[in-house]
Amino acid sequence: MDITENNVDEQHDSTQHYEVLQELGDCYTSVGNYTQAQQCYEKAAVLSPDEAGPYVGLGVVALQKNLLDDAEIAFRVACRLDANCAKAYAGLAMVAQQRADYKQAFEMYLKSLELDTDNLIALLGLFQTSCQMGSFSKVIHYLEAYLNMHPGDTSVMFPLAALYMKDGKLEKSKKILLDLLTLDKSHTDAANLLEEVEHSLAQVKQGNQTGARV
Amino acid sequence: MGTPKKAGPVVTVLVPTFNRRRYLAGALASVVRQSYRNLQIIVINDGGEDVSDIVNSFGDERLIFINRKENRGKAHSLNEALARAEGKYVAYLDDDDLYYPNHIETLVDALENKSDCQVAYSDLYKVYCNVCPDGSRKVLSKVVEISRDFDRFFMLYWNHVLHVSLMHRRDLLEKTGPYNEDINVLIDWDMTRQLVFFSDFLHVPEITGEFYQPDGDCDRISVQRRKNEKEYTRNILTIRTTRPPKPWIKLGDMSIIFTTERLNKQAGTTLGSIWQRTFYPYEVYLPLPTADFEKLDTVMPNIIPVLVNPLSSQAERIDAALAICDGEYIAIVPSGFPIREFWVEDSLHALVNSSVNNEGFELEDSTERLWAVVVRKNDLQHARRSFPHLSVRESLNAAGIAIRHLQPEEIPFQFDQLLEKAKSAEKNGNWSKAAEMFEYITEHYQNELCMKTLAAKASFKAGGHIRAAELSREVNRQRPTVDTLLLEAKVKHEKKDFNSAIELLNKAEQILEGNELLWT
Repeated sequence: MDITENNVDEQHDSTQHYEVLQELGDCYTSVGNYTQAQQCYEKAAVLSPDEAGPYVGLGVVALQKNLLDDAEIAFRVACRLDANCAKAYAGLAMVAQQRADYKQAFEMYLKSLELDTDNLIALLGLFQTSCQMGSFSKVIHYLEAYLNMHPGDTSVMFPLAALYMKDGKLEKSKKILLDLLTLDKSHTDAANLLEEVEHSLAQVKQGNQTGARV
Repeated sequence: MGTPKKAGPVVTVLVPTFNRRRYLAGALASVVRQSYRNLQIIVINDGGEDVSDIVNSFGDERLIFINRKENRGKAHSLNEALARAEGKYVAYLDDDDLYYPNHIETLVDALENKSDCQVAYSDLYKVYCNVCPDGSRKVLSKVVEISRDFDRFFMLYWNHVLHVSLMHRRDLLEKTGPYNEDINVLIDWDMTRQLVFFSDFLHVPEITGEFYQPDGDCDRISVQRRKNEKEYTRNILTIRTTRPPKPWIKLGDMSIIFTTERLNKQAGTTLGSIWQRTFYPYEVYLPLPTADFEKLDTVMPNIIPVLVNPLSSQAERIDAALAICDGEYIAIVPSGFPIREFWVEDSLHALVNSSVNNEGFELEDSTERLWAVVVRKNDLQHARRSFPHLSVRESLNAAGIAIRHLQPEEIPFQFDQLLEKAKSAEKNGNWSKAAEMFEYITEHYQNELCMKTLAAKASFKAGGHIRAAELSREVNRQRPTVDTLLLEAKVKHEKKDFNSAIELLNKAEQILEGNELLWT
């Protein structure tokens, strides 16, 4: 112990006020109080001008208010401040998706997931955009990666099962749907899809048997 | 905030100022608007830019303004103001800091009604801020960094009481003497260190004000001066060797009897180390023959030479010193004895706190050749009177004074050592270890609120969010802080209890923004 040493440059936590405002902004956003949320994010941005977080928040608020240009500007500022900000790319993707620019949305969702495979919003956005574009090749990889990290996440299990089915991977689809229904018996979409998958499996089986007889 | 109180003793608040016009108005407003009204407020301009317009703008008859043109330092300013002080109690405020409205009321209530202490102190937020080009301060964080229950032994070693949070009886200054104008940093510790000789301190663990720490290069004169290492060390040594006039009501003096055949280089080195490393108040008694006595030429303070016969034995020399020693505790130390940090205080702490009579402690680095001991003076006197023909060691033994070694649990500053280890774990990113240690300290030592806050922060970073929320909630129930409100809110947010999180975060934001309601 040497507390007499002349330590006048002690490190300290300089982000506390920023954190309070950022948290407060996020909570206000979650309860739909966008005016208060915006005020918090603006104050946070003044306090920590190099942080991307407040601009992501401002982008989300603008998106909720359907101010797509404002949202895009905010998300772009966030990307400029932090080139690895997955949330900012997801935000840009959502803006593009709202504008029906699915190609751009798809790219931005992909970029976001490259930075953070754990981003559920980007994942589901990617899935939706894929559906809108009719192209699923890259989605399955990210859904699988996410499900590996969050094995019980039913919101991802269903789209993955649907994609497996679309790809003809019926057994894989059935397994996931059975797991999903174990976790959530009331998931009617899953139950319906399972019925469909089992029907397809039966047809395949029947086809195989017929082929064998011929 | 309670109803304004007019009754009660006068409290003199001293506000020294030097070239901080920008913040002085805020500081003074925080005093003038105290809920406790019976104040004498003395503002002392220490030769800085004119602030009379700011002081006069309050139009408050409780304000006295000393507008000195010459810069003579903070210690001089405080002494000048104290000469005009009339209050039963004295409190302090720097020109860039703030009291919360209940500050004076809280401390007066504590001193008048809650203890026999003549000194009380509360907790303060340390406010880290950015200073904008226009001089305004942008608050980055408000943290209670120092919240420590009174520890006399520690206060002799280092300060743990912030001056802005301090209130003491004015008449204690008749015992301590005025502020020491020969030192230019840590003048607050110099005073609080002297106050511990005469009173216990009462810790009121409420946050009653804030002091500011600008980010980057701090403009505080005291911080700037600390950067001059040589000067800083001189100040520390001056403070540690200052001995207020006796009688000391709360502290026993220590006399060090230094034994050496001759006043040679080795003796000089050992004496120098004693000067450098001893923080408990002491005087060194130096039994020397005439030849050495005449050679003695040192700037080391608190040395008392004792003239002895050159042919006298070591025991006779010790007896000669003992005859005039003034301390309640006697340390006998030979020349060449290794003087490390806490060399005598470890054992002295055990002796001071021992309820057993007739015992003393052999110092930790003591050997057969370099035997060193600390004992009560009356025990040593009894031993020497009873067995003058024996060596000191033998006489103590013969008189039934048990000389033993220190037990691990008797070592002082265990709290500080554990705290340092916990902070080191924190620094290394070992958050779960740090959290565990902070919780252990909370259970086994004092300073509960502060330790619980540290435990909560470390638990959160270690991923123990539920435990972090529990600890934060416990602190928030007693004394909410920004840190603990934020932690509890984060966990509420995770659980999607957004409204509760918002409530907690708004409280934190109010504290950070220094809600105007505080001042009205």
